[in-house]
Amino acid sequence: MKYLYVGATPEVEQEALAAVRDDALARFGTPVRELELEDIEFAYDTRRDQYSSIPVLDRLVQKAPPDGLKLLAITGRDLFVPVLTFVFGHAQLGGRVGVISLARLRQEFYGLPPNREVFLGRTVKEALHETGHLFGLVHCANRGCAMALSTNVPQIDLKQAGFCAACAARLPGTGGNG
Amino acid sequence: MKTHWQILVVDDEEVMCESLAAWLREDGYGVDTASSGRDALEKAAHKDYAIYFVDLKMPGGMDGIETMMQIRHLHPDASIIIITAYATVDTAITAMKEGAQEYIVKPCNPEEISLLVSRIVKVKNLQRENAILRKKLSRQYRFQDIVSKNARMHEILKLVQEVAGLRSTVLIQGESGTGKELIARAIHYSSDRAQKPFVAVSCAALAETLLESELFGHEKGAFTGAAERKCGKFELSNGGTIFLDEIGDISPKLQVDLLRVLQERCFYRLGGQEEVRVDVRVIAATHVDLQQAVADGKFRDDLFYRLNVIEIRIPPLRERREDIPLLARHFLEKLAHELGKDVDDISEGGLKALMDYHWPGNVRELENAVERAMVTCRGRVLGEEDFSFLGRNGLPKAWTVPPAMTLQEMEKSAIAATLQRTGGNIKESAAVLGIDRSTLYEKLKRYEIQR
Repeated sequence: MKYLYVGATPEVEQEALAAVRDDALARFGTPVRELELEDIEFAYDTRRDQYSSIPVLDRLVQKAPPDGLKLLAITGRDLFVPVLTFVFGHAQLGGRVGVISLARLRQEFYGLPPNREVFLGRTVKEALHETGHLFGLVHCANRGCAMALSTNVPQIDLKQAGFCAACAARLPGTGGNG
Repeated sequence: MKTHWQILVVDDEEVMCESLAAWLREDGYGVDTASSGRDALEKAAHKDYAIYFVDLKMPGGMDGIETMMQIRHLHPDASIIIITAYATVDTAITAMKEGAQEYIVKPCNPEEISLLVSRIVKVKNLQRENAILRKKLSRQYRFQDIVSKNARMHEILKLVQEVAGLRSTVLIQGESGTGKELIARAIHYSSDRAQKPFVAVSCAALAETLLESELFGHEKGAFTGAAERKCGKFELSNGGTIFLDEIGDISPKLQVDLLRVLQERCFYRLGGQEEVRVDVRVIAATHVDLQQAVADGKFRDDLFYRLNVIEIRIPPLRERREDIPLLARHFLEKLAHELGKDVDDISEGGLKALMDYHWPGNVRELENAVERAMVTCRGRVLGEEDFSFLGRNGLPKAWTVPPAMTLQEMEKSAIAATLQRTGGNIKESAAVLGIDRSTLYEKLKRYEIQR
């Protein structure tokens, strides 16, 4: 039996983990299990005051349980890849491990009052997006699909928390949009 | 659309290279990486990348600018984006001068890269679509598509190829439906003007003043309703070819204007003071005998000689009957594809029906006849019954000269039959017979024909 694993680093609130587990990963038709993850201080870059997602993925590969089909990590830290200023998430395309960052999904990051509903909605969409990459999906031209490329939060807010029919057809166990 | 485009990321820092490549792969592009300028050139020699991301500072004696110049030498159409962590105004200017499409600073904003790549891909998609459409258009008018095994047609096609490269004016004469425009397009698309416009104008379709403004354009306020300045067909076809169909129908005034354009290659827009110069090849066509029109005083002889530099006379279909089966099968094949109908062939009986018909509408009529038969036919083969409508049009199946008939008798019966057909209309009968009204009156009197 293979499982979809979800793991949160210590600073991540339980509510966000539950949303990813129940509203995102549960849709892929594979049983979901939780995994405890350590803090990602090892990936901290002092020059950029951010966390590099590449060593995080390397560590996740070591951590992934043998019965884990895929492993999606959730962190509250702000992630980057060397060539870009930031990333909302990073996953191996068609691979085993991925990570999403909650740092830029919060309204507070942009100087706005907190909004729990908006934050959790974005979290679920990003989790669907990176898990989609783990299952080999590339970006979708349909702006409403979870697989559409988002480089800012308004673009995430435009998306539905679900896949378009074309992307859903390429995934195991998802039931299309919604 | 994205996966068609290949991207090469060139950076000596593996982590930079791989992270950008991975990010672009998530966007659906095919991405390769190279760790040096030399590595990039080797890869570029074997694969045609549409976009290159090249790091400015690379060791090994070949920096980003040098790499870019070498790549541009191999692939002039490639879009190259220079990326650097050490941006200075000087390097940015050098990069752009040497042909970089864009210059971006590491680390880059994901939105910036995403917009940049999608903008380049959008232009590349349009360029490719344009190239395909151009190819389609010129292929449509290849010589191979002019189907014939007739010796006279072969001579014409040879002439077309010979004159394609010249700028000389061509006059194409032939009955309606013989394919005059097809020949004109074949000349244009085989010439060095093929990439420039081919503009066709039917001179018979418009009234004199309208045609004048259509050909030469007009200035704002030149006449009532001229709210804006408008370019004429001569200006629109600049660099290319203008095809003037039914040239025999233009008015004496327009004949003078046209003569001036042919002589001087310049004209004035209607109501305009400014002389407009154009480089246009003129191909004219007519279904009337222009030489006769000159003899009758209806067409200026100087214009005729200007137009008639190279003359092409296309024979009517009835004079090249051997082409009928060939053309019919060609249209069958073409239309089966267009109409989505499973019709494979024409039976012997069907071909006989086509051969016996006299085709006053020539090749165009044959194409229409095949299409009509295909629409109504039930089987996979077009039979004689599918072409039964040809006989019902009241047109003679074939005409033979009655024995012992003199030329005068033939002329008399031709005039009488035409008058009967037009209900005694002199103007129309004269037009059909190809003579002017005074000649017709004279002949009616001579042959004592009652109207």
